Amino acid sequence: MTFTSWQFGVFAVIVFGAYYLPPLRPFQVQWLVLASLFFYGYGQPELLALLAVAVFGTYLFLVLALRNRKTWLPAGIAFNLALLAFFKYKFLFIDPASPSLVDFAPVDFLLKLPLPIGISFFVFHNISLLVDLTRQKTAPPTLTGVFLYIIFFPQLVAGPITRAEMFMPQIKPKYFVDIPLVDAAKWIIAGFFFKLYVANNLNEMTSYMSFPLYETLQTQDRWLLVFLYSYQIYADFFGYSAIAIGLGLLFGYRLPINFDLPYISASFSEFWTRWHISLSTWLRTYLYIPLGGNRHGAWRTYLNLMIVMGLGGLWHGAGLSYLMWGLLHGLFLVLERPLLARLASIDSPMFRAGRMILVFVCVTMLWIFFKLPNFDHAVGYLAGMFTPSTNPNPTKLFYSLALLYSLPVIIQHFASGSLLEKKLQRFEPYLYGSMVALMYLEAGPETSFIYFQF
Amino acid sequence: MSAVRWLVKCGAVAVILLIACGLATARFGSGLQMPATTTRDGTLITLSRYLREPVPDVVLVGSSLTFRLKEEYFATPRLRNLALAGGSPVTGLEIIANQPQLPRLILVEANVLGRPTDTALVERYSRGDTEPLFFRPVRAAVAAYEQRLHAPLSHEQALLNLRRLLEQPPSDFDSRIHAERALQRLDAEDPANETRINTKRIEELIRTVEQRGARVLLFELPYPEPIEGSRFTRTTREIVHSAFPDARRWLRIDVNRDELRWADGIHLDERSAVMVTQALERELASVGSGSE
Repeated sequence: MTFTSWQFGVFAVIVFGAYYLPPLRPFQVQWLVLASLFFYGYGQPELLALLAVAVFGTYLFLVLALRNRKTWLPAGIAFNLALLAFFKYKFLFIDPASPSLVDFAPVDFLLKLPLPIGISFFVFHNISLLVDLTRQKTAPPTLTGVFLYIIFFPQLVAGPITRAEMFMPQIKPKYFVDIPLVDAAKWIIAGFFFKLYVANNLNEMTSYMSFPLYETLQTQDRWLLVFLYSYQIYADFFGYSAIAIGLGLLFGYRLPINFDLPYISASFSEFWTRWHISLSTWLRTYLYIPLGGNRHGAWRTYLNLMIVMGLGGLWHGAGLSYLMWGLLHGLFLVLERPLLARLASIDSPMFRAGRMILVFVCVTMLWIFFKLPNFDHAVGYLAGMFTPSTNPNPTKLFYSLALLYSLPVIIQHFASGSLLEKKLQRFEPYLYGSMVALMYLEAGPETSFIYFQF
Repeated sequence: MSAVRWLVKCGAVAVILLIACGLATARFGSGLQMPATTTRDGTLITLSRYLREPVPDVVLVGSSLTFRLKEEYFATPRLRNLALAGGSPVTGLEIIANQPQLPRLILVEANVLGRPTDTALVERYSRGDTEPLFFRPVRAAVAAYEQRLHAPLSHEQALLNLRRLLEQPPSDFDSRIHAERALQRLDAEDPANETRINTKRIEELIRTVEQRGARVLLFELPYPEPIEGSRFTRTTREIVHSAFPDARRWLRIDVNRDELRWADGIHLDERSAVMVTQALERELASVGSGSE
């Protein structure tokens, strides 16, 4: 069930309507767990069993690790990573189209199961739960609490990846009067607007980046589409995260902010504090710091950065393109690291603007590896950006439409926090009302959220 | 500001804008031709236009191959090209057959019959449900801008450009790699089942529309030599020619193949499309169904 379907609208209204009814208040957590199970199982109930194995297994390891952290914490983490590795990387070794992979039917069924939606996200929740709660040495939480943390439907499929130590203390009775209604509405409207108006419309154009369609493009249009994809992936993922945060607020839970205007970053390290913040925070807390972080000299720091970014790339998918995307980000982080202090000391708006443009262009170019997971196709696309096109019948793109659909991302990045934004604050309800109308009138064709595939 | 006031203002603005757009659609809705950014968009525009405008004399239905034969290339007046890029000729033929009035002549491309009929599209355009309740304001603005800058050319306006195009030598664009890829794909595909179903449906539709006074002719667009020998082409040809063995049912496209080029290994380039269009028109004149 996707956030943009009418089925989800009906589902959300029913769950919200019942959630604050006084007779149901003692069962709010159970009600949300039930709703989340329905949400996840809708259309693919066979995956509920996998979710149950992941949650019950993690709970068991948590209880054991609270008694003996040294033994059971690594076992719990290994259990979750094995789940992730099995489902994410099995197709590197087997062909799902084969009529029968093994003679044993249950294993054959498991091997043929497609990638369960959201597995990359709930596995990270599970690891966070194991590490955070065993570090705090608290009493084991209730099973329903653990269930809610892992499968809370707004964040189940594509995050934000909430850390257990942030979420678990929020599990307590909720009251309707405490809902920040305007904040929730603003997040939800902004999320749907960025998804329906920006991302879905830009997707119509960026579909020409796929192989072999991209071979019909003129050289300048290849460049244009890469930038449009950069806006699209931001609008798509920001949109999803904003809807998740808004829905979380409606049910009394604050989920972490996942994006903070990433395309105005003046360095790659700043970019990773603004883009998919919950993932970069998770990787820093549970991978970079345990690897030694920056505590063992420059070369070890560089190695740690490359390892973390390479694994971050592979987390998105089992492919050379994703690995390359992660490693190149790692390389940029390594290259800029010795220069950061010197660059920061140059106090010039022009210089900062130049750095912002450079980072934006580099980040945008690397999205090619994201859009085209087949490495040869990605390289082919990239090569075509630097050679003149000779196709006598190139695809026609409407530049005016491209600009109009990208505009919200550009305005958001450059108007946020400005004087103009403060002056326009009293017109805020009218602005959001216009966004509601526009996202209905001008919605692009339905496409699933890009991060659902991870 | 209280939350309720904020939400009321927000909702009111949304409703007012929707009503304004609804009224504007009722007043100007069909006046603008929205820009197509995808083949699906282009399909909807083509079909909406067919239903909105008076019934033409001649209609072409087909796939993306026929889609390349643009209407302004034809000297025949009152001709419409309903070929659907990425679609099946049967979809266009079904939609035409479901209209209360038929054109005099329907030309059906028989190259690509391995695709299923788009039943959703047939249903939608057979109901006459072509105009949306609200138009898309951003697209409408861009459509107005594009129409102002690039108004569609009539055949007379385009004639000069077409002559210039034909005077040029054939393109030297190297499309071998595309042709090889297309051949691999077409050799891997077995279109037999879907082609049999579609051919049978075409037979039924021909019977229906000819009983209502229309005439239907079939035609095949030329492919590059290697594609002519592909499994896909051979299978399709075998099935469709055994279903329609009468030579009078077919329009022959007599064109110098050495002059033809295929931009992506399978679709005609612009100059070749113009040449094929002219060959088609000569044949139409000889069977007495062209312009009158």
